[in-house]
Amino acid sequence: MCSTPQKAASVPRDEAWDKAEELVRAGYQPGDLIVFAPAWADPVGRLHLGDLIPVDMAARMDAARYGRIWEVSIRDAHAPETAGLTPVSSREVSGVAVRLFTRQPAVVVSDIRDALPTAKTQGPGYPSLELAEVGFEPHRCIQITPSPNSPVRVTFPGLTLGSQLVGYVGLADVFTRRDIRAPGTLAIEIGGTQVASVTAGVDDGWVKFSAPTTPGPADVTFIASARAPQRLICFAAEARR
Amino acid sequence: MTRQRIVGWALALITVICVTVNEQEIGIARDEVVYFGASTKYADWWMGLVTFKHGISKKSITDTFGGDYGGGNNPEHPPFVKTLMGFSHHVFATKLGIFDELTAYRFPSALLAGLLVLLVYFMTLALWGFPEAVLAALCTLLLPRALFHEGLACFDAPIMTMWFATVYAYWRCMDGRAWPWQVGVVFGLTLATKHNAVLLPFALGLHYVIVAWRAGKWRGLVLHRWRVLVSLVVLGPLTLVVVWPWLWTAPIEHVRGWLAFHMHHVHYNFEYLGHNWNAPRFPWHVALVTTLFTVPVSTLAAAMTGIGLWIARWRRRESADPDRAPALLLGLSAAASLGPFFLGSTPIFGAEKHWMPALPTLCIAAGVGGVWAGRLVARYAVAVRPVAEKTAERVAIGVVGCFIALAAATEVVDAQPYALTWYNAAAGGAPGGADLGMNRQFWGVSARGVLPFIALQSPGPVYTHDASPAWGWYMRLGILPRIYPDAGHEGDGISRSKLAIVIHEKHFNRHDYLIWKSYGTVRPVYVLRSDGVPIVTVYKRPPQFQSQTSSTSR
Repeated sequence: MCSTPQKAASVPRDEAWDKAEELVRAGYQPGDLIVFAPAWADPVGRLHLGDLIPVDMAARMDAARYGRIWEVSIRDAHAPETAGLTPVSSREVSGVAVRLFTRQPAVVVSDIRDALPTAKTQGPGYPSLELAEVGFEPHRCIQITPSPNSPVRVTFPGLTLGSQLVGYVGLADVFTRRDIRAPGTLAIEIGGTQVASVTAGVDDGWVKFSAPTTPGPADVTFIASARAPQRLICFAAEARR
Repeated sequence: MTRQRIVGWALALITVICVTVNEQEIGIARDEVVYFGASTKYADWWMGLVTFKHGISKKSITDTFGGDYGGGNNPEHPPFVKTLMGFSHHVFATKLGIFDELTAYRFPSALLAGLLVLLVYFMTLALWGFPEAVLAALCTLLLPRALFHEGLACFDAPIMTMWFATVYAYWRCMDGRAWPWQVGVVFGLTLATKHNAVLLPFALGLHYVIVAWRAGKWRGLVLHRWRVLVSLVVLGPLTLVVVWPWLWTAPIEHVRGWLAFHMHHVHYNFEYLGHNWNAPRFPWHVALVTTLFTVPVSTLAAAMTGIGLWIARWRRRESADPDRAPALLLGLSAAASLGPFFLGSTPIFGAEKHWMPALPTLCIAAGVGGVWAGRLVARYAVAVRPVAEKTAERVAIGVVGCFIALAAATEVVDAQPYALTWYNAAAGGAPGGADLGMNRQFWGVSARGVLPFIALQSPGPVYTHDASPAWGWYMRLGILPRIYPDAGHEGDGISRSKLAIVIHEKHFNRHDYLIWKSYGTVRPVYVLRSDGVPIVTVYKRPPQFQSQTSSTSR
């Protein structure tokens, strides 16, 4: 009898979020990443601070390029983006914790999503830049649906590389993932040499890959393939210094 | 005894009132809309038949009851409850005007909820006693998820009632009466309620084998209450056929079509323990864990006590009504209802609603266990203080029973009207359920909660996704002004819309992203919450991202 009302009232109300919002806005700098935890509180967080989160930031590849991260959380939860980081400031207002994390951000020298207009495609499939659901999360990614056993090659000629190429791949669209259970594969070649290959299954979500690279321009090719139809292979990659 | 029976009727009446009052706040489930249409057609057909407006023809039956499975006139679900809904709508909304259309369609389900409480009360009263019966009935009434489903014009709560009605009728008919027709007819109506009924023979059959064997070994298997079996086998299917004209034209083909639809049903997306399940194999423990999280903790604790007590009494050969073994019957009934969900291949869409026929067993066990605990307290009180034994027992049972019922009532009050988002205190309530990654809701019901907010916005089309089937009904019922029409399906609908809603289920996250893309913002204007857990988000198109309609009109 006592625990039910107590548990029902355990989530902070809008007044608490209002105070947390004030804290974030007071210290916010353009380009800061704002994340919410637990994930199910995300709509409430966006209700209060969504104007500071551009769509592309919400649909980010990952958080590595952000040097300042605000974590607004309830119920002692933490966002995966802040794992392993120590907050430089931490305040709690009526059950809403506001923490600021800073770190050395990854320096992105090129992003294949920006370079897509210059890409050359070979094979039966057309790459398009989408805001897709992959693993129930939003991701801005390049999507290809290759025909079964007919790989599609997307080459970025003269892409500026740093010391590392980091990317992610996954299968978009929950319904085609449900109806067809086969995985999709993405292989990456730099200058004709394969440097990575990753297979994303229907329950794998947004799968990371990386490869060391030599700084400077190079032809980078992404080869999307699948044995089954309707594999909406969606990927993103950044060349980092 | 008469007074005690009046208490049962009073509890049943209270249940009908509670369900009817509660459902006033509950949104329209996607499936209900289909049943509204079918039910009106079914009732009209029967009224036309008995008033000689038309006869029985293959065409009229097909036009009314047939069509594609998963479409048409809803031939994938048998007609009993739908027919009642249609008559209820005709009488209470159209003729008498005492209910609005929605309440009228939903009223038969509320009546059946009352019937369930009554039957639980009567069976418990006959076998275990008055306080046990009252507590069992209260536990049945005070099930948050069941109370929610009992308010809908669907079949999940009615099948719980009809399933238990068959169990009750079977138990009664096992008394050796000459003409046990009741069990066959009730089983037939249960078959005509929902396909879960085909699992009942597993429970009844096994129970019959056990009691018949105990009564007379091999001879008992053949001759012990054989009329009950004949009633089930003959009158059951016959009743189904009588109430379902769709079977009159091609009985075997249409029964096959009905059952095949459910055997090969598409797997819905359903979140359970943080994972979105939409393909087998499903976890074997879904039914177990979900039940543990969706029945009030006090009811569960009392039920576990009661089940333990039944086992202990059986071992001591002190079971109630040993010839008919009702506790065994109730256990087998629950097992048959839950069993398929342990297989890993049965779809888990809809979660607990699909095994609700197990709940009467739990509630009766809770009544027995709760009262036993009360008696235990009384014995302790008598031992430590000079109190009259009878008084101590009455007070202790009253106190323990009140605690169990009030704890359950607290959960009920907390749960409504968004009971699909609610989880019990053991799970940590709705927020605990969200932390555990349990399903947030389904059927788009909670969209009703954002209608008052939408009604305050500038007129324009609304992207409604899962609430789309119900949207027209909200406007028809006057719950939402007609200046907020449904914008349409997915991408085109969003691009036409001025407002957009997302009903939060894990696999519906994609709707957020489609809206972000079109509206150019991730910031909603309203988030409906249940105990702090987001259930519906509303977006408003910013002026700088004009909708397709606005662009065209300019």
